[in-house]
Amino acid sequence: MSTEAIPAEKPKRNYNALFGLTLLALLVLLWVILSLSTSSFASANNISNLLRQGSMIAILAVGQTFVIITGGIDLSVGAVVGFATVIAAMLINAGVPVFLAILLTLLVGVAIGLFHGFGIVKMGLPPFIITLATLTSLRGIGLLMTNGNSISINNDAFQEFSRNSFLGVPNLFWMVILVGIPAYIFLHHSRWGRYLFSVGSNAEASRLSGVNVQRTIYMAYTLSGLCAAFVGVLLASRIGIGNPTQAEGWELQAIASSVIGGTSLFGAVGSVHGPLLGAFILATINNGANLLNVNAFWQRIITGVLIIVIVYFDGLRRRGGK
Amino acid sequence: MTSTAQDLHPAPVLEPGRTILELRGLEKKYPGTHALKPVTLAFKSGEIHAIVGENGAGKSTLIKLLTGVMPRTSGEVIWEGKPAPLATPHEAMALGINAVHQEVVLCRHLTVAANMFLGEENSRFGILQQRAMVKEAQKIIDDLGFDLPAHVVLGDLTIGQQQLIAAARATVRGTKFLIFDEPTAYLTRKEADQLFTLIRRLKGEGVTIIYISHRMEEVFELADRVSVLRDGTLVGTRNIAETNDAELVKLMINRSIEQVYHKEHFTPGAAIVEARNLSGKGFENVSMTVRAGEIVGLYGLIGAGRSEFVTTLYGRHKKSAGQILWEGKPVQVNSEHDAIKLGMALAPESRRDQGLCLNLPVGLNLNLPIYKRISNNLLISGAQEKTQADRQIADLRIKTPTRHALASSLSGGNQQKIVIGKWLAHGAKLFIFDEPTVGVDVGTKAEIYRLFGALLSKGAGIILISSYLPEVYELADTLHVFRRGKLVATHGFRTADHEEILTQALAEKQEKLGGKT
Repeated sequence: MSTEAIPAEKPKRNYNALFGLTLLALLVLLWVILSLSTSSFASANNISNLLRQGSMIAILAVGQTFVIITGGIDLSVGAVVGFATVIAAMLINAGVPVFLAILLTLLVGVAIGLFHGFGIVKMGLPPFIITLATLTSLRGIGLLMTNGNSISINNDAFQEFSRNSFLGVPNLFWMVILVGIPAYIFLHHSRWGRYLFSVGSNAEASRLSGVNVQRTIYMAYTLSGLCAAFVGVLLASRIGIGNPTQAEGWELQAIASSVIGGTSLFGAVGSVHGPLLGAFILATINNGANLLNVNAFWQRIITGVLIIVIVYFDGLRRRGGK
Repeated sequence: MTSTAQDLHPAPVLEPGRTILELRGLEKKYPGTHALKPVTLAFKSGEIHAIVGENGAGKSTLIKLLTGVMPRTSGEVIWEGKPAPLATPHEAMALGINAVHQEVVLCRHLTVAANMFLGEENSRFGILQQRAMVKEAQKIIDDLGFDLPAHVVLGDLTIGQQQLIAAARATVRGTKFLIFDEPTAYLTRKEADQLFTLIRRLKGEGVTIIYISHRMEEVFELADRVSVLRDGTLVGTRNIAETNDAELVKLMINRSIEQVYHKEHFTPGAAIVEARNLSGKGFENVSMTVRAGEIVGLYGLIGAGRSEFVTTLYGRHKKSAGQILWEGKPVQVNSEHDAIKLGMALAPESRRDQGLCLNLPVGLNLNLPIYKRISNNLLISGAQEKTQADRQIADLRIKTPTRHALASSLSGGNQQKIVIGKWLAHGAKLFIFDEPTVGVDVGTKAEIYRLFGALLSKGAGIILISSYLPEVYELADTLHVFRRGKLVATHGFRTADHEEILTQALAEKQEKLGGKT
């Protein structure tokens, strides 16, 4: 039972930040261990590589988190990434200016997100179903468009971008910051962010309080689609080809990053920094396992175990904190 | 089974029941809260023992200790002469202690029969004997006099009917000690009567009943003895024949009953909203006006069309005919958004399903309708967010450690204050309160009623929906009675007596029931 107004001492609000710190500590711990146990981990080259590996999943995870906070799921993001590489490659090869090609690719992502919103809000389909449907059909559409071939991108400047660094930090990681900061402000300091949480917690109560629930759902899936298309552009730049079968299974890595980052699959709980940390924890484990010559099959098992362990301890603390 | 119902008015002297369960200094402490101070009390077999008290007085804690949901801090529970640790729910059930909760905790997607035998299914060689179970369940239900089919999916029944099934379920499990926690909160009168018949029959079979309710008249109708909890302390136990309403309320809140229904009268101003021949799903041809400074009460049974009428007014559902006028001008209300923009506010019937984002902070819940106002195009003003939330918490005396606490951690009454409080900063002109005091204790009720007065004095109008007649009777300036989707009668403040209003609300049903009380 609640008691009389006790001065605000319980750090309920700082919960997210605290959890973020724990994750950060875990990440640093992993880095320290790997630096000590391998000679190559702490090299500038490897760190850059690690940041590049983690960046794309990190951006996907941010978009995914918006959706999960509303109580939904977006299974399509991996397929959207692959599809976006095709769109970007075709546009660039057709001589469309790179800037415009990127913009159009992002718009395709937005359109896919809007379609998800339409399916959920207007057709009443469960998010799992509509995004599963897009997952398979987008890969199919991409294969039709490319006849099953990869499209090599003939634009060196476009490909340079993902290889280059700025101030010693890989450009790809700068993109995480470019997405992360607006996403943080959006989720934690704008009313739209609050609405994502409220819809995820109780859509009916939100509706009766004047929140436009439908628009909020459209928004979440659109942002997720946009993030995925953006990652598609980055992937196209990094590998230099458009191929609809790329990024297989990235949706699951994005969901895993989000969940490791403290997002609740039941909705209404989540942050931006959590999934970012989650993505880099996963990237570190893969990277470290490679350096330690751990069998690639084992890496998958380790990732699975890690998801269980982190989410279990998160749940324990959440219940204990009550 | 002795199926003769007990006397309607139990004899003042208790039948010589032996003591079945005894609490000796039972105590529960949470970090920072002394939820239950040492309680010593003996329950006899075959008695109906009511427990009353405000929300947060310790009733739920007591139940949780008795049903083994939570461990006690100290003290003893003696069950049939032997100490019982009651460490797990399973242990409590094995002894014969069961509880029926206010919110039905059954599987809504399974059939009534499957729920009745959940965990004790009848199976032969691993195959469920479905038909046998349905038959048996039907027999139990018929036996209890409930007119309900056993083969239907539980979720298709009304909440009230589900509650009856939950009660029936508890009776078939060798129960010796049965706790009812606010069982009638969502029941119609007819359903409540059926439940009372069941309770009296159990009593006749020697089962001890703990009956927890905020409704005094039920306590007097049913109980043999009543215990009052206040702030975790047992402040008294009385034989029902030796006490009265006033004494109990006084024990509960240290305040007299007149102070609960606090009614201020204002001269009604201009019309705020007018419904002209409004029809929609569940109601037809309803006309009424709400003026500034006036409480318009809507009374009727659950399902009589009151909630449907207001949700249509509020744009949640489409109207099929008629017109809505806002401050004299015809308006289209096509969504909640339109309604809120005009200046309507709805505190819905079900806190959990419609009113609150339970797993989000109190502050977010309070600010939900006004985020648009306290943010610029992009950002929320953190300072305003804090000020607004803290002001509502202080004004409404919402008991919460901070605005960051989750809404789910608050007691029912305090949650209800959030549902209401979120509209205060919004500055609405018409407040619609749908069952605002269900499951809310007397003290909080008084605070909510006082709040009505404050709203009216600022020129707002109120629509008050209630299934609890004394509430609308004592508060409404204009009282409309609904029956089967129609507005059947209109009264002024206290211009009709309870009986007349009840008859109007029930009339058809009574004819249909063929003169059942």
